[in-house]
Amino acid sequence: MQAERGQHHRSVEVLASKLRRRQIVGSRTAALETLVVLRQVVSRARFSNFEQLVEIIRGVGRRLVEAQPKEHSVGNTVRKVLHHIREEYQTAVGQTGPQAGTSTSGFSISKFVLQGQPRRHVPAQKTEVKTTLKEDDPEDPDSFSKGLKPVLMEAIQDVLDELETVYDNVSKNARDHIHPDEIILTLGRSKTVETFLKTAAHNRHYTVIVAETGPSYDGREMAKSLSSAGISTFLVPDSSIFSLMSRVNKVILGAHVILANGGMFAITGSLIAATAAKAHSTPVVVCAGQFKLTPLWNLYHEYGAVDFGNPSDVLGFNEGELVNKVDVVNPYYDYVAPEFIDAYITNDGDHPPSSIYRLLKETYDDEDNEL
Amino acid sequence: MPDKQETTLPTQQPGAAAPKPAGQPSQKSMTKAERRELQEKQRAAKAAAKAEAPKGGAGGSAAKTKGAQAPAKKAGEAGPAKQSVLTSKELGHAIPEEGAGKRGPRIFTHFGLPKPIGHTVKGDIHPAVVRLGLSFSEFKICGANARCIATLTAFKNVIQDYTTPPNSTLSRHLMTHLSPQITHLVAARPMSVSMGNAIRQLKLEISNSDIDLVEQEAKDVLCKKIDDYIQDRIIMADEVIQESAGRKIKEGDVILTYARSSVVEKVLLRARSEGKKFSVIVVDSRPLLEGKALLRSLTSGPDPIPCTYALLPALPSLLTEVTTVFIGAHSIYSNGAVFSRAGTALVSMMAKQRNVPVVVCCETCKFSEGILVDGFGKNELAPAHTVQPHGSTPTPTSEPGLEVLNPLYDLTPPNFITAVVTEVGLIPPSSISSIPLALGKTIL
Repeated sequence: MQAERGQHHRSVEVLASKLRRRQIVGSRTAALETLVVLRQVVSRARFSNFEQLVEIIRGVGRRLVEAQPKEHSVGNTVRKVLHHIREEYQTAVGQTGPQAGTSTSGFSISKFVLQGQPRRHVPAQKTEVKTTLKEDDPEDPDSFSKGLKPVLMEAIQDVLDELETVYDNVSKNARDHIHPDEIILTLGRSKTVETFLKTAAHNRHYTVIVAETGPSYDGREMAKSLSSAGISTFLVPDSSIFSLMSRVNKVILGAHVILANGGMFAITGSLIAATAAKAHSTPVVVCAGQFKLTPLWNLYHEYGAVDFGNPSDVLGFNEGELVNKVDVVNPYYDYVAPEFIDAYITNDGDHPPSSIYRLLKETYDDEDNEL
Repeated sequence: MPDKQETTLPTQQPGAAAPKPAGQPSQKSMTKAERRELQEKQRAAKAAAKAEAPKGGAGGSAAKTKGAQAPAKKAGEAGPAKQSVLTSKELGHAIPEEGAGKRGPRIFTHFGLPKPIGHTVKGDIHPAVVRLGLSFSEFKICGANARCIATLTAFKNVIQDYTTPPNSTLSRHLMTHLSPQITHLVAARPMSVSMGNAIRQLKLEISNSDIDLVEQEAKDVLCKKIDDYIQDRIIMADEVIQESAGRKIKEGDVILTYARSSVVEKVLLRARSEGKKFSVIVVDSRPLLEGKALLRSLTSGPDPIPCTYALLPALPSLLTEVTTVFIGAHSIYSNGAVFSRAGTALVSMMAKQRNVPVVVCCETCKFSEGILVDGFGKNELAPAHTVQPHGSTPTPTSEPGLEVLNPLYDLTPPNFITAVVTEVGLIPPSSISSIPLALGKTIL
């Protein structure tokens, strides 16, 4: 098995170093890259039973997450792939288990509760599984992997397809969220939000106020892009968020990571915008793909994600001697607590923050929370 | 009282386009409101029966009556679009025309664009006032106190150079001489509340000046009064504020402040010179990035204060360690709302949410008798040349479909404020309204 891992080590290492150097930024790009690597790994992997396969994938996941622990979408992608291949594996080996049959067909409160912990039934299923596809076959150790690989590839392809259509799927109900002549406030430049707003502009006439969001000032790009799509756009400094909030109908934010409690990490400035919105009772809506769902709690740091950017973006060296005397702080992300968020618009429906934990249970398997 | 209202008028209309004679703007806005109402009616009529559009825009008040009779046949084609073009032309001054099919919201129109600087001087304007007007519009003199002092000093020159025309008395005529000067200053930049208060006081002094005095003597008396006002209401007031606010800074404190307030700067420097060890977090934001100047003055002395600098979005991450927030004010309204540099409201809101006390340093000469509940209605835009560049991307400029707005102020609601430090003591924002009364309203 060591030999096999050696083979795919290369692509994993390349991605790991790219992640570490922040050559890959943005959660969707990172997720896509991870998937591509995982596909290679799985296609070349040699395993004679399911546990080995899971261990291989987890090993890759651990390596990548270690390289860049702040890019949570990497770990999420690995978790999602694991979840999918488990499902595929179960169907492939013949899903005859009585529990599996009933729990998907009938709807009752007790089933509903049980579905929250789907993994609990796996050991029971496994015992009656091995008839169709033989694991640990001493005569032909590759037979299992040969039989399973096509469905594994399919599983990974499913995840890939979901990622590639994520923006379109988030935006498909945009017109239900943005109404004629509304004034929307957004900040920074989130691809998801950008697509969402542009899609809404197809059938709605509305106005967007974009906050510049220092020190990256991504909002400027966002504003240009939106106005070129024919949306009437206003670009304002971050400082005027509060005074304009009284005229804003809705705040639409992007997310970096959606946490298990329904809160999120998002670009700095999101928290002040969300708090200002709360002070004015303005709804705050977050657009994000479900690949950003992360089985994490913000335990270690109440504010921000403990991830800091380049201080020279805030106070450049052209300020001369000031630079020597002053501490400069430039955090990347804010932690926005669930009570500031009214809804998540995802590629798979709209959800209140209070139901994020259920989505997590459905998307990932409990045993993968720690890779 | 009537006198008061007259002088507050210019302060309350800075959003409006130009400093026109008192009657005109209100009448204009009346018609504007009327027309808007009319347009809304038209729209409602249009919505009710999509048909009756085509003649809608043709004639002002006749529109709604005629619109009802209009036949439904023409509506199908270009009816509604045509009408909206017509009406927008008709109401040209209320709607910014942003190109063919686009229609921006009209909620920002009252901000008005910063006017080109008044190099052309109309009427008999004193050179000192002309110079001051330029400094105002260039933001060379910026800040409520600085502008107030500069205005009063310029007016001292004006008064000294003034000669009462024959058949007139100084107490009656001087004000008519000063009015165009004031108008000129307001044209350069909307008047601050501190200036309004000072000018009102000056008017009072002029009308009270003794008719029997020799002209030069009367002028000297007035100049003395102006000096006293500057000394008592601003310089001494600052001293007292420094002392009482300084008492709120303790050893080892972390003080957070936003942008740059001259009073807060003095409070911090004074506390440091008294030997207190504390650190300061300066939070800053575009458009003006004034915090850098504060940073420079706090760190430049022989005994520099340890400082941390961050932009406004980073504020929540920093608040955990902050003990007190000190902010300055442009003015305070009688409901306790603080009108100050844009971003102050965000800072105090976050601080309040995290249970960090917010202390506002403000002299009583900045108190306004009005009430403001929203920082949106009355605001001022930073002219393009004063906006500070920051970040790797170039400072954006307005283009068709994309408008860049740089509001200068915002309003902090009173519930975000813990205490206001004034020269008459530390008071809660709810007691702001009682201060002018307590001061006997003689000077306010």
